[in-house]
Amino acid sequence: MFDDYFDELDRRRFLTGSAAAVGAGLLAGLPATNAFAAGFPSRNMKVYVPTREGGGADRNLRAFTSIWKKYLKVNFEPSFYPGAAGRVGYEKYMGIASDDGHDLLFGNMGPEVLNWVVKKPTGFNVSDLIYFGQMDRDPGIVFVGRKSKFKSLKEIVEEGKKRTIKVGVSRLAHPATLGILALGRHTGAKFNVVPLSGGKRTRAGVATGEMDCGALPSGGIARRGKNFRILGIFDDSNPMPDLVKGAVLVNKEFGMNLPPLIAGARAFGIKKAAIDKHPANFKILTDTSNKVFGDPDYQKVLKKTKVPMELFTKSSSQAEIAKYVANITKIGEQYKDLLTGKS
Amino acid sequence: MTDENETDKPEKKSVGGELILPAAAFLFTLYYFYTILDVPRIAQVSAFFVGTILIVLVTILGVRIAKQVKAGEADLRLGRILEPKSYIPKRLALLGLTVGFIFFVDWLGFTLTVFAFLTLAMLLLSEGRRKVLILCLSTVLAFGGYLLFIVAFKTRFPQGPFEKLMEGLI
Amino acid sequence: MEFDPALFVELFTRTFQFWWVIVPAIFLGLVVGAIPGFSAANTIIILLPLTLAMEPEIGLVFMVALYASSRMGAGIPAILVNIPGTAGAAATPLDGYPMTKQGRGQQALAISFVSSVFGGLLTTVLTLLAMPWLSQVAFYLHSVEMIVVMLFGISLIASIAARDTLKGLIAGFFGLMLGYIGADVVYETPRGTFGFLELYDRVPLIPALVGLFAVSEAFAVIEGESILSKRGREAMQKAGWAETFEGVRLALSKWWHIIWTSIIGLVIGVVPGAGAAIAAFVAYQQSRTYSKTPELYGTGHVEGLVAPESANNGVTSGTLVPLLVIGIPGGATAAIMLVVLQYHGVTMGPDLFMDNPELAYGPFAAMAVTYFLMIFTIAPLARYMSRITVVSTTYMSPIIISFTLVGAFVPRQYMFDMYLALAFGVIGYVARKTGYHTAAILIGVILGPLLETYFLRALKISEGDIMVIFSSNLGNILWVGLALSLLLPYLFQLRRAKQEAA
Repeated sequence: MFDDYFDELDRRRFLTGSAAAVGAGLLAGLPATNAFAAGFPSRNMKVYVPTREGGGADRNLRAFTSIWKKYLKVNFEPSFYPGAAGRVGYEKYMGIASDDGHDLLFGNMGPEVLNWVVKKPTGFNVSDLIYFGQMDRDPGIVFVGRKSKFKSLKEIVEEGKKRTIKVGVSRLAHPATLGILALGRHTGAKFNVVPLSGGKRTRAGVATGEMDCGALPSGGIARRGKNFRILGIFDDSNPMPDLVKGAVLVNKEFGMNLPPLIAGARAFGIKKAAIDKHPANFKILTDTSNKVFGDPDYQKVLKKTKVPMELFTKSSSQAEIAKYVANITKIGEQYKDLLTGKS
Repeated sequence: MTDENETDKPEKKSVGGELILPAAAFLFTLYYFYTILDVPRIAQVSAFFVGTILIVLVTILGVRIAKQVKAGEADLRLGRILEPKSYIPKRLALLGLTVGFIFFVDWLGFTLTVFAFLTLAMLLLSEGRRKVLILCLSTVLAFGGYLLFIVAFKTRFPQGPFEKLMEGLI
Repeated sequence: MEFDPALFVELFTRTFQFWWVIVPAIFLGLVVGAIPGFSAANTIIILLPLTLAMEPEIGLVFMVALYASSRMGAGIPAILVNIPGTAGAAATPLDGYPMTKQGRGQQALAISFVSSVFGGLLTTVLTLLAMPWLSQVAFYLHSVEMIVVMLFGISLIASIAARDTLKGLIAGFFGLMLGYIGADVVYETPRGTFGFLELYDRVPLIPALVGLFAVSEAFAVIEGESILSKRGREAMQKAGWAETFEGVRLALSKWWHIIWTSIIGLVIGVVPGAGAAIAAFVAYQQSRTYSKTPELYGTGHVEGLVAPESANNGVTSGTLVPLLVIGIPGGATAAIMLVVLQYHGVTMGPDLFMDNPELAYGPFAAMAVTYFLMIFTIAPLARYMSRITVVSTTYMSPIIISFTLVGAFVPRQYMFDMYLALAFGVIGYVARKTGYHTAAILIGVILGPLLETYFLRALKISEGDIMVIFSSNLGNILWVGLALSLLLPYLFQLRRAKQEAA
């Protein structure tokens, strides 16, 4: 891909560009080759965020772009399009964003891909969008309030065989919701998932006792360790063994075979059309974003977010992302009836 | 609205205008019902409940008005909504300017559009009097708004030539 | 969480030393509160770099002062030009604006400020003392109980539509239906959106509020010279300090009213997510129900202004309770405070009261001091702000239209929202001219989504059993209360009619 880009450059621009690149590279203390792509980005990057300003996505985006802009040498301008579980932002992005590589999306792959599977908007196909630069990997978990009588997930499942358990969730089309529904289907326990619109209200629903338990991404709960207890994790391993003690791995405990249900998987998205038209620009984006992960300043800004550091990814792999999207799509199709209330 | 020579009779109320809002409410409710035919039952209950009450209320009003008209106490002309008639052109022009304001703000940016709207609308309402005062007022308000909304509060309002120029200068 | 007088004395002396932060924050809060579309929450977001750079305690004092004063600021345009600065002030124009039209703008402002300041001060002190008990409220008010609380607010539609109940109800139910636009909270299915993506997340409140009140008003008033009647104009021009102090006196003479309506605000504020709008509506409705002169409400009645303003300031301290006690913010502004405190490494929850009492009780002390300092702004603000009402409509209408449309744009930054405000302006104009109450429509638009959300949630919890709405003891007590507050006015009226006949 890089070669194609090279061919596009005319000789004159190449010469001045490389001279400037050497200069800029020296100034920034970077290898000079990074700045070869002086033509891109030629203006500020615009980022479409399908959630509200001030939420988790906003927090992570600010942290990441505060370092990334150092490598791209332009600023990032986020605009927020909340609504209908991210659908507004996605449709806006697919509808009006340019495909020259300057316009990106920043979302949460898990719930948003799942929402696409469940709702199937007519405007675009989920494969028209390619994710890259995955920032975090936060598995879905089951948790109870501090004063709950339940001491283990097994107790909840046993009780669920006698009566319906009320489970607070952020929304229906969410990896953590999928996890609890799958657990119910596997064990025969009856779970009634009640969407409470976001993590904040779900925590409130569990804390005030209106719900028996809740299913959310782990980060927000682990951080409030004293008010909640995490009982089960929908992942292959416990990402925070020091912070989350006594929680079981759901697959292991109940003999299930679920893929990791990563509920917090924030990543950038770009139109496939933009990659097809300007592959070199996309390469610059992935190369520079990959550098962010290794930047010591990046670790500093992440620490400030107060999210447990274990939940942030150390690097991002396109193959992992593709596998994750495929997994979520597949399991979403399996449980579609439960997620739409059609059963 | 009432004819001069009718003044000896009890005045006929024009109630046609009173039907506009209920008619809109009625049509909207039917449309809303149409959009929820497919959703699970529990998500329909609340809207069907409220919508049905609304339709019943509108029907009662319709019957009430029909009775009044039949008894000759009222007619179906639009009545107050158009009054006073001398203000209709001014009001329509102001509406046109408002639509223009929203339409053009995307290209001209906040400051210039506010300035143009304020100047034109004030001239319209003052019927062309006190031009200098109006120009000064519009300039001060548009620039003050620019300082408050764009410079101080960093609102991402559409940027136009003026904002771009100022950005370059600052 | 025991009460310790020495701690409180120390706390207040300490907080007073931050007057240099509080005073500018008060003025900033008054300004942003008065501009529709702006709020304490988004101002704090804008100023986040500044707040984060401050010491946690100073940052907190700054945010609290801004929050408290913005509530009072929101009442100013509501009273003077019939445009509530935020949804929390949506019940304020009901009696505030008629007073302005009679040329009593100064008085109205003074009444609103006194109710705000004393209602706020009182509930803040109460919160400090009753923290351990108040923190329990959220544990009892669940979806089922909240349905009834919402209905308390909605029943206000019937009260304000007293002159033509049928038309009032049509306006209110139309508003409720408009409030039902958008994706539902359980299945996320968009309904009634006309295909507009921008409506998936419900009808945005600020454009609805700006359109129904401000735009429609701006189009209606161009017939007259100013928004005041001729007599009102004369009264206004003659008015001096005496009018202002008359307002202060009138408000203070309703001290009992301030107390109980601000407590309504406090209790509702403690429930996460309920907010100032519902508190103001419930307080207004309750105030009218138990009034000896319910027919005067809506004509510029003092109690009708005292009730919503005391209540929405009562909410301010209430929203901080769940934030500090269980780490769950009661509203948007409290949520941002949480972010700032977490940034500084402060963990919320019961332990905060042991580990960091100055941070746990500090916000309330700061709020009390803010309200105390705000007492001194009452008279001059009321005296001079009210002059705005004599400005000719030639200038007022265009200014109102352009700046409120800008305000409609600000919260979500969608061009669509300006068109939406205009559409609501047309609805409001038609309503005004044909005798439908715009406030009734707005109440519907504000409370519709909340009612539907709690109702749908309750049904989801009960797996579709409609009888769930009578499933809780507290809920049933509230149902009885609701029935009483709907029936009592008629019984009172009957009794009065009998007495008059006798």
